Amino acid sequence: MRFEDIEIILLSTAVLFTVVTGFIIYFVILYRNKQIKHKQEQQQLQASFRQELLKAKIEMQEQTLTHVSREIHDNITQVLSFVKLDLAMINTIDEAQKLVKINESRELVAQAISDLRDLSKSLSFEHITRIGLVKTIEIEVARLNKSGIVKAELAVTGEVIPLGEQRELVLFRIFQESVNNMLKYASAKHFSIGLRYYPELFNLTLDDDGDGFVPDQENKGDGSGLKNMENRASLIGAIFKIDSQPGKGCNIKITLNPLEQRLYTDEELPNSFG
Amino acid sequence: MNHTAIFIITYLCDILLFAVALIGVLRYKRLEPAFKVLATAAVASLSLNIIENIYIAVYKSNAPIYHIRAIVEYIFYALTYYYLFTNRRLKTIILVSIAVLTPFSIINALYLQPYHNTFPTYVNVPTLALLVIFALMLFKQMLLSPLKTPLMKQGTFWFNTGIIFYSTTMFLVIGLSNVYKSDLSLYIVVFYLWYSIVYIFAILVGIALFTDNRKIDNNHAV
Repeated sequence: MRFEDIEIILLSTAVLFTVVTGFIIYFVILYRNKQIKHKQEQQQLQASFRQELLKAKIEMQEQTLTHVSREIHDNITQVLSFVKLDLAMINTIDEAQKLVKINESRELVAQAISDLRDLSKSLSFEHITRIGLVKTIEIEVARLNKSGIVKAELAVTGEVIPLGEQRELVLFRIFQESVNNMLKYASAKHFSIGLRYYPELFNLTLDDDGDGFVPDQENKGDGSGLKNMENRASLIGAIFKIDSQPGKGCNIKITLNPLEQRLYTDEELPNSFG
Repeated sequence: MNHTAIFIITYLCDILLFAVALIGVLRYKRLEPAFKVLATAAVASLSLNIIENIYIAVYKSNAPIYHIRAIVEYIFYALTYYYLFTNRRLKTIILVSIAVLTPFSIINALYLQPYHNTFPTYVNVPTLALLVIFALMLFKQMLLSPLKTPLMKQGTFWFNTGIIFYSTTMFLVIGLSNVYKSDLSLYIVVFYLWYSIVYIFAILVGIALFTDNRKIDNNHAV
């Protein structure tokens, strides 16, 4: 009887020990798999982010080159043609007119030099990393206003803090994309850009009074780049919201927590440019 | 019952508990808040063991100390879980359980299972059950947000393993104690089993206190 009882005790103990040990081993295996899975996901996110960043940089370069080409063709070439004409006429006019023509040519050359200087600044997309998001957008706003197509306004509220080189680059690319869309499709007269810096929140708002559209999945899938903008915003941990109706313009809002750390956006490259 | 063997087993248990408490004290500043509570629990456990030995020598019974041990250890382990959990609801449940079980253990000691001659199984059963639930919930939390740190270097894993092992096997021991309490020759088997569990649990808590490091344990994989 006693041996039977001891057997029961030992057997039940052994069974319980085995079950608990088995459970722990199962947990260890499960945890290890989770760690590997998370590591792979993180690597995938990093790769995807790098790819998107590269794509954004290429697009920015293309846009810059298009802009430079247009500026050279529409502006600088015209100005220099005027100078050439003035200088060609110089032998056929009297002294007083010569002086006027020379002064006029000097002013036109000065304007061409100034335009070229502005262009050289925008030739490299890396200037965003030097001067920051606010200054870069200010330059773009000035350019838009100069074009006369649209009246652009920029409002910056709060204390400007660097959001990180890669985040600012992506935000600027989203801004460029929305400007493109507005110029291409919206026929807007006014364009407002808002940059709001709060201690734990950053907002970029883009409002136009153009034709507007229905921001459904179809629109996101076409060439308007809305899906692109949304994807890029999510890659830097931002929330992308679009609000538009036909005839009522378009409002884009990007919200970001600047303090939130994202491994794939913060590693390797410096995260600020002061 | 071999008195020398019992003496050696209890003496070794005291040494083991002393070593665990020493690890906790020496590493106290480097520990996370949860493990600071665990280190305090180790010191409290050692103190209760010493008091228990004195009490046995004087009054030939350790039942009153068990009444204190049952609730004190639960409070410490539950508070350790309180700091380890990120879920607010679970934290609230822990605080409520402490608030309910503490007066219940006093009532139990005074009226239900008199403290001078009965073991507090009415307290042990719910506290052990709750600790098993907390351990399982913590394993779930660990799986949902894994750390980069290898599992074997995580104090949380060792502590949780210790608790799940201790709580489940103690159920068995309590059950067997009730069945064989009249047969002293069988009761000795249960006694050895009980000490084996305490030894394993103490070693696992010791490893938890030794491996925990507040600098690395927040290093999430995502």
